[in-house]
Amino acid sequence: MTGVITGGWNFVVAAYSITGVALIVYTVSLFTRSRHDHSH
Amino acid sequence: MSKVPYILLVLGAVCLVAGSAAGLFYAPKEQYMGDVQRIMYVHVPTAWNWMLVVIYALICAIAFLFTSNYKWDARLEASLEVATLFAILLCCQGSIWAKPTWGVWWDWDPRLTSVAVLLFAFLGIVALRNFVDDPPRRAIWSSVATIIASVDLPIVYYSVKWWNSLHQQQSSPSTVSSQFHFPLRANAFGMLFLMIAFIMLRSRIAAARLENEIAPPLEAA
Repeated sequence: MTGVITGGWNFVVAAYSITGVALIVYTVSLFTRSRHDHSH
Repeated sequence: MSKVPYILLVLGAVCLVAGSAAGLFYAPKEQYMGDVQRIMYVHVPTAWNWMLVVIYALICAIAFLFTSNYKWDARLEASLEVATLFAILLCCQGSIWAKPTWGVWWDWDPRLTSVAVLLFAFLGIVALRNFVDDPPRRAIWSSVATIIASVDLPIVYYSVKWWNSLHQQQSSPSTVSSQFHFPLRANAFGMLFLMIAFIMLRSRIAAARLENEIAPPLEAA
């Protein structure tokens, strides 16, 4: 046991993916809601 | 209609792509956490900007109560939703970082608990706004609730100093190696630009709905 973490890229990829997907989905939802409001 | 939010969206995306690429492929591994530390480049900028949007929500709530101007209510609605999104992201990124470093996905540590309290408080206020149809009541109740919930923000910030916390103390460019500065700063500006764009776009949606609710009914010819 050295106290050094090895590997862990799967955690890094998961964190970046969740962040990217959430930001993209929210952006799309804003455009969708905005378009929906303008059509009424 | 102003093009500023669209420009900010593009700028934010460019900064985030550049910062994340640098954080993933250019910045060196941290001495003890290895590659897992690269989560810091998204987690810390999300945390900074989440705190900023909570402060903005508080300003909107106070401004509405003093002015009764619905422009502030629309901005409050937008900032509550963006703050909730950022808090959810913060908890997800933190959990993913906690598992390989602490050995658990979640711990009822003061920092994590105080963030969770504010997340659920804001979720509650967002739900409250959806349940109340009367615009003046909705605006006053959600403003008061936002002011009460925001009392938790200084607790979140100082929790790692006041109590013996598993969570590390605040990171900033002055507390990390200079090789980590660029990805941290680029992602911080990226998140900031996106946050401002989100608030502007969401405020427009809220303002359009308020306009319909407050406008007097049309009389039949």
